[in-house]
Amino acid sequence: MRERRPLWLKAATGAGLWVWVFVAVFPFFWMFLLSFRTPVDAFASPPELFAPMTLENFRHIWVEDQFWRFGINTAIVTLATVAVSLTIGCLAGYALARYRGRLGLWLLVSALVFRALPHVVLLTAYKPAFFQMGIWSRYETLIMVLVAVNQPFTIWMMRAFFMSIPKDLDEAAMTDGCSRWKAFRLVIVPVMWPGVITAGLFAFLLAYNDFLIASQLMNGEMTTMTAALGNYMGQNRSMDRLMHGIAGAVSVVVPIIILIFVFQRQIVAGMTAGAVKG
Amino acid sequence: MKTRSFVSFVAPSVACMLILIALPLLGVGYLALYQSHVKTELVEVTTEVPLFGSQTRKQTRNIPQPVLDESGNPIQVWEFVGTRNLEKAAAIDGLAQAFSDPRDDSGESWIGSLYREITNYEFWGALEFTLLYTFATTPAILVIGLGLALAVNSVTERLRGSLVFATLLPMIVTPVVSSLAIFWMFLDSGVVTAMIEWLGFGKFYFLADQITTRSVIILYGVWWAAPFAFIILYAGLQTLPSEPLESAMIDGANEWQRLRYVILPHLSPLMTVIALIHIMDAYRVFEPILVFNSSVYANSVQYLTFYTLGFEDNVHKAAAYSILTIIGVVILLVPVLRQSFRDYRPVQ
Repeated sequence: MRERRPLWLKAATGAGLWVWVFVAVFPFFWMFLLSFRTPVDAFASPPELFAPMTLENFRHIWVEDQFWRFGINTAIVTLATVAVSLTIGCLAGYALARYRGRLGLWLLVSALVFRALPHVVLLTAYKPAFFQMGIWSRYETLIMVLVAVNQPFTIWMMRAFFMSIPKDLDEAAMTDGCSRWKAFRLVIVPVMWPGVITAGLFAFLLAYNDFLIASQLMNGEMTTMTAALGNYMGQNRSMDRLMHGIAGAVSVVVPIIILIFVFQRQIVAGMTAGAVKG
Repeated sequence: MKTRSFVSFVAPSVACMLILIALPLLGVGYLALYQSHVKTELVEVTTEVPLFGSQTRKQTRNIPQPVLDESGNPIQVWEFVGTRNLEKAAAIDGLAQAFSDPRDDSGESWIGSLYREITNYEFWGALEFTLLYTFATTPAILVIGLGLALAVNSVTERLRGSLVFATLLPMIVTPVVSSLAIFWMFLDSGVVTAMIEWLGFGKFYFLADQITTRSVIILYGVWWAAPFAFIILYAGLQTLPSEPLESAMIDGANEWQRLRYVILPHLSPLMTVIALIHIMDAYRVFEPILVFNSSVYANSVQYLTFYTLGFEDNVHKAAAYSILTIIGVVILLVPVLRQSFRDYRPVQ
């Protein structure tokens, strides 16, 4: 049964939703428009909705500023981070979902504390240490650091996911004579992919969206796209430089928008898994 | 699961966290207790200084030079300073001064002038805005998130997908980019500023004033985090059993009463979770401060440490700020940790 809502409430709901959608989308929509304009049109007063389009900003940043280098760095770093953090996060998440002892609780609670730490705290220690060891500004270093800061979140999420897989499944395999490891490989691995995809998305987002760590651990040429945007910030830049930055920001954001479009369902599932189920 | 196989399954993950999170935390503690400088010695250097014409004069001076080790690197000297770095970072002397200063200046209350004096110190100023941001955005995202969840829940199935897509944008998009998108709108010639001027409300300089800068950053925080609250509460609404709602309707409860007595009690545990997670995230606010370059008007604890580390290149001071930051995290986490220990039910 469904009662008819009063008309004013319907109208208010509709209006509220439209306002929200406008507020949520407009900054990005406007950024897209600006990226195809010359500085004069972009910051005209009053603002123009229609203006001549140009690809000059994109040409400059991708060709002359060689943004593609940072694109390659981003691809290497994010893909490797996702692969490594899923591999080790899966094992830990599975074990946490099946283990009863206090040790598990301690691990989960420390992971929670680690997750709350501002990353700059860790950077303070990394910077002098990595310089000393001569491993500063290397892909492997950045990848392992991103994997580590991502682990707390990944193991919590994978644990929630594995808890939803009935434990009879692997225990049946074990009574048939499999070892724990073999049961995991033969019975759990084939059914775990939905959870792995979700956790992988969040690992990807963390690595891709990170500015702080990449900007401090990598030098100019080795840095990621997101951190490279730092070159275009600051108030004393010329208008041309600002426009190049806008084109760069659009370049960074396009893959993310495609990702949300394709994986919307998994992203929502992942966000709720942590909070709703425990 | 046996402890032994548990340990072998979690070993890689634990090793990773121990080496790259736990060990660096100890390292930060160590760095905070020391000061270091390059070891120097006075070396007699003789140079020819031009006098006038083509005449020169030999001049010998003692100039400090870094001492090099065998491989040609300068030698660093580490000096144990105890809690001196921490005291400086927390401006303990300044605090004591602020409390003992006589305050008879007219017009300003005792608390007001004390507050102003304390927040003049770098760390306390940064902490002030961090906490302001955290506790201003938290109630706002709960209210907006709840409103959105109820609204989206009431529209037809067909529209929900696109509404969720639009809503996810502000929170999933790279924070640096979303901060930039907002920043560009509020530039002196940005679209919002230009629209306001065009509509005849006068010229605003949003980024040249403390109140407006802080407001824009807090609005950014709400815009960024409200989708998170929405997604969780929306999922919570899907699990709402239909019987209590129906019996409330039969009893003649109106829209508001159903919300107040059936829906809100069902969602309140989720709201606690949202608040706790958001507080943790908001305490780390960094990107908008960086992008708005607003540290004069609105600083954050994480940005302050970043600046000290990256621009001042002062590791020991940054480590002291880090320690203070960690103390803050622990204080904020106490309620969460108590909750986890209470709720933990191992798998039966």
